[in-house]
Amino acid sequence: MSLAWRLLKAAVSSLWAFRSYAALMMIGLIIGIASLTVIHQIGQGAQQAVSSRMASMGFGADAFYISSGGGRLGVRRGMKRAVTLTPQDAASISRVDGVAHVVPHKNVARTQVTAGGNNTNTRVRGATPGWAAARKWPLLQGRFVSLTDIRQSARVAVLGTTVVRELFGEANPVGRRLRIGRTPFIVVGVLESKGSSGWRDRDDIILVPLSTATKRLSRDDKLSGMRVTMTDATRLEEVKAEVTSVLRENHSLLPGVPDDFLIITPDELMKLITRQSRSLVAMLTFVSAVSLFVSGVVIMNIMLVAVSERAYEIGVRRAVGARRRDILYQILMESLMVAAAGGVCGLLMGLLLSYLATWLLAIPTAFSPSGFLWALGFSAGVGLLFGVAPAKKAAGLHPVEALR
Amino acid sequence: MIKLKGITKTYYRGKVETPVLLGIDLHVRPGEFLAIMGPSGSGKSTLLHILGLLDRPTGGSYRLDGSEVSDLSDDELARLRNDKLGFVFQAFHLLPKSTALDNVLLPFTYAGHFPEDARERARRALGRVGLEHRLHHRPGEMSGGECQRVAIARALVNDPEVIFADEPTGNLDQRSSLEIISILQGLHAEGRTIVLVTHDTAVGCMCRRLMRVVYGNVDSDEAVAEPTQAIEQLQTLKEAAK
Repeated sequence: MSLAWRLLKAAVSSLWAFRSYAALMMIGLIIGIASLTVIHQIGQGAQQAVSSRMASMGFGADAFYISSGGGRLGVRRGMKRAVTLTPQDAASISRVDGVAHVVPHKNVARTQVTAGGNNTNTRVRGATPGWAAARKWPLLQGRFVSLTDIRQSARVAVLGTTVVRELFGEANPVGRRLRIGRTPFIVVGVLESKGSSGWRDRDDIILVPLSTATKRLSRDDKLSGMRVTMTDATRLEEVKAEVTSVLRENHSLLPGVPDDFLIITPDELMKLITRQSRSLVAMLTFVSAVSLFVSGVVIMNIMLVAVSERAYEIGVRRAVGARRRDILYQILMESLMVAAAGGVCGLLMGLLLSYLATWLLAIPTAFSPSGFLWALGFSAGVGLLFGVAPAKKAAGLHPVEALR
Repeated sequence: MIKLKGITKTYYRGKVETPVLLGIDLHVRPGEFLAIMGPSGSGKSTLLHILGLLDRPTGGSYRLDGSEVSDLSDDELARLRNDKLGFVFQAFHLLPKSTALDNVLLPFTYAGHFPEDARERARRALGRVGLEHRLHHRPGEMSGGECQRVAIARALVNDPEVIFADEPTGNLDQRSSLEIISILQGLHAEGRTIVLVTHDTAVGCMCRRLMRVVYGNVDSDEAVAEPTQAIEQLQTLKEAAK
């Protein structure tokens, strides 16, 4: 048996002897590491949710989105942003070289919707026949908005499953009547459920023909945004530039005046969301680092007290031949082991909590390798750093003084 | 084996100097059973700590097996304590959460070389003090006398050249004291060297040589003509109890 191994055994048996102290020391660390783990799991889950949502919105590399109103991606532009895009813009863009399809839509303000005795409040959006295909959003029942509907500004509606549940319960709604505001509509189709994604329920929506939305449900024909699909994904920058100049010309913007629209590419959006969730995770990591520092100070204090209480044990060990550094190593190993045990417990608790968060609260989480490494690194670091002072104190005890 | 010449020890507390040992000369030969006696404050415990390499003298020369130990480093002193010395303390100083066997194994934890037969040797040491039936008991589950016997086994296990005992009977009743002394007398009979500190004349008279320390000086140092045999006293005590 090597000396290191014997010292390790001595540390284990001392820890076992002082297990109530050890448990006390670990509490803070367990909580800190658990919260660190949960934060990273949630951060990871959010990123995965975003990418899967982007994929489910049909946001491939060959498409981008033009939104009304200027500003910069990631900067909140307020509720009352200007609605600047027009059907003429959509027509001009569809003629740009490299553009395959333009799918415009118009958001109507959230509206009260009634059917029979039931009512609900939902998002109403004007769309064109290409909308469902562009979003890769299949139908559950009935049909989608057709070209004829657009031409006639027909009062037909396609419902998301949440709206169906609110208004019609389990019954088949196709062919039934409902009122959006005061305007009567006929239900022609039901969209498949997409489920909620983080902040909102995507099935809480009613789609109507774009022309119906502009003519019957609002007072202008402006568009909220449009999705542009390209013939070739590699021509993104070129097409973006051309679309920008077309729109600036249509809107008669003089040089120097900022754009009154915003082109969002999936890549930029992904980067933005990743950056935001990363900085949030970084901030919360810092917060838990502070709490881990505090738990380290607690460990140090408890160990300092324990060293005084164990002075005679240290004296005995010195008397039978332990060198100062043997005592130093033993106490350091003890604090390291307490910290490692606390770290592992905290990690397991964090995994359990994030699993519960997903299961009970539907918060998306995913295993985060970075969180795993942070947890292990932090606990080992805390153990070493805050074990030094107690270990030095113990090693510095004079055997005769310690034995008194 | 042990040669002290002009050993002094002075404690400094701030600017206050407290001389404790004023110049001790002492020669301990192999196989001796020496008792150091003196009133409290005489410096006898300090002397034992210096003899046991737990403390350093302020001045003088200490030769162990012919080589000077005053200039050795802390680590070298620890090595010597581990290899050549055994300790028995007044308050036993066992690890309370460890079994008797593990307590006796403790010196091997810090040995330069861990012997293969460590457990066997620990068992034998415990057998030597009559505790083969207590191997897996913790100190809390044993009497004071038994605890002190575990401590003797711990002092014995690495086959030391000298065993130092600091008031080994100080915390024990008369009967346990006699048992402990009879074990020490037995060890002496086997040829071991024992240095014991006590303030109890009865205990002092059970050793072979008695040195009295008063105010940091050797007051007297003489052989005990007819040491009391603890085992006989123990028998008398048992008969009286009947």
